[in-house]
Amino acid sequence: MIKQRLLAGPDLSQGPERLASHVQRLGPPPSIGPALIDVVEHSGLTGRGGAAFPVGAKWRAIARVQAQEPVVVVNGAEGEPRSLKDQVLMTARPHLVLDGAILAARALKTCRIEVVIGESHHAARGSMSAALAERPEPELRQARIVIAPARYVAGESSAIVHLVGSGIARPTSRPPSMHEAGVDGRPTLVQNIESLAHVALIARYGAGWFGPGTVLITAVGAVSAPGVLEVESGTSVREVFKTAGGGSHGMRAILLGGYFGAWVGADQAWDLPLDPVVLRGRGLTLGCGVVGFLHDAACGVCETARIMRYLASESSAQCGPCFFGLRALADAIARIGEPGSNTEDLARLHRWSQEVSGRGACRHPDGAVMLLRSALAVFAEEFANHPPHWRAEPSQPRRIA
Amino acid sequence: MTDQVLWYTTRGAGAVSLVLLTAVVGLGILSSLRFEATGWPRFLTAGLHRNLALVTLVFLGLHIVTAVVDPYTNLGWAAAVIPFSSYYRTFWLGLGTIAAELLAAIGITTVARGYIGPRAWKIVHWLAYAAWPIGVIHGLGTGTDAWSAWFFALTCACIALVGFAVVYRLGVSRDPLADPRAAFRAAVDRRLRP
Repeated sequence: MIKQRLLAGPDLSQGPERLASHVQRLGPPPSIGPALIDVVEHSGLTGRGGAAFPVGAKWRAIARVQAQEPVVVVNGAEGEPRSLKDQVLMTARPHLVLDGAILAARALKTCRIEVVIGESHHAARGSMSAALAERPEPELRQARIVIAPARYVAGESSAIVHLVGSGIARPTSRPPSMHEAGVDGRPTLVQNIESLAHVALIARYGAGWFGPGTVLITAVGAVSAPGVLEVESGTSVREVFKTAGGGSHGMRAILLGGYFGAWVGADQAWDLPLDPVVLRGRGLTLGCGVVGFLHDAACGVCETARIMRYLASESSAQCGPCFFGLRALADAIARIGEPGSNTEDLARLHRWSQEVSGRGACRHPDGAVMLLRSALAVFAEEFANHPPHWRAEPSQPRRIA
Repeated sequence: MTDQVLWYTTRGAGAVSLVLLTAVVGLGILSSLRFEATGWPRFLTAGLHRNLALVTLVFLGLHIVTAVVDPYTNLGWAAAVIPFSSYYRTFWLGLGTIAAELLAAIGITTVARGYIGPRAWKIVHWLAYAAWPIGVIHGLGTGTDAWSAWFFALTCACIALVGFAVVYRLGVSRDPLADPRAAFRAAVDRRLRP
């Protein structure tokens, strides 16, 4: 069910909301300080970058490290190619995001804020830098905008820390964990844009007001009106489908959570609640909020092959199991798509995907394997008996999800 | 009877450790040759290398522990830790102690790789090339079965395998992917620095 909180206010088509309008609508961010950590914890807010880690617990862990002044990194890299929600939020409601950043900085007793934005997110960069210039707070006046390269792994939190510290957006292996030693060896909070925007409202209205909360969803694929929606947490996939204009075809499967998410057969997907915690309990993920619709005339094997090729090419070439493993998996699934395919490749996909999972410095291989395994289960019939259309079409298969 | 079981276990575990360690060294060289085939992508070599190395450490531990606790030999724990401190076959046992400690260093740095960084890890990992021949000499020098036909043939086979792999690695092979790798690394670096 549609519920506008982050996206409430002037119509999105009017562009960035200016500071005057933002303050008139919501008032200035309240001065709460470290007490906000309790409030955020009680609200139950989870991180919206993909991992759904409880925001309050993350802040508390950083506040407990008292060695040095922490760094707050606002993560708007949005490297997931099909996700638009962070860009929409930064473009339309920059001051809500900055409110969240300043509240986080004051809760953690620091004045160092870094804002990371993806290099191809031009509208968001313009809106955020204009908004920073409008702010009176000294912490925000001296905040720096860091441009993240348009790479899938660039948004991963250790890659963000690496980027802010040394200019290289490549994931690093842990330990040390970044809440102890991140940017310049200081305790570092890397928080997604949407999570911070929620914090801005929780600080104004309280933990109890938050309730189940809302989530930003990017609906893509076979729907007539793809785009970003804000819905109440727990809204069903069916309702998102209707809200995004519905589609003329029957649906074969839904990609839930983007490229690090999972395919779900349409029959099982319609009534799934889009709630980060509930989905996690069912072994699924809301990830970054991408919900992709694959219609019944499209091929799940070819679609997955395309995504796996992309994820293999997005490895930062640091860990063997990721760089070579994802390439081997992408090659194997591509061979299945070819006529007269090697029948061993299906067994290889099952076997190798177990060898790759959990073997990288970051979770890049794990995410890719989660998607692949869901495809092997949902499209089992198509994998076992793949029609020979892969080479027959000269053009790339349509980007569905 | 108990001391007999311990004694046989020491000898058996020593022989198994030799075979496993040879396979691990061979796979290590194979991965530096960047071997791959359609049914055998490169990351499987590394995975097998790691898993066999862990099994090697288990058998090596068994070899050492059974030798020390065996009441007949009465070696004592110091001999297992301090090289050349054993009253019994001082030199040959000392070599075994050194080989085991080199392998332990490789194991510990692998577990701690996140802390010490890949460069230090790799330097320590080169110790494998010292641990293997020291272990082989230890086996020939003090192994109860060293000069029995089966164990001697086994040792010769292990030496031949690693010798061939080292010669091939140093003399014949050239990294087939050196140029594409360098180009790829350069491209990644370019793209990751906006």
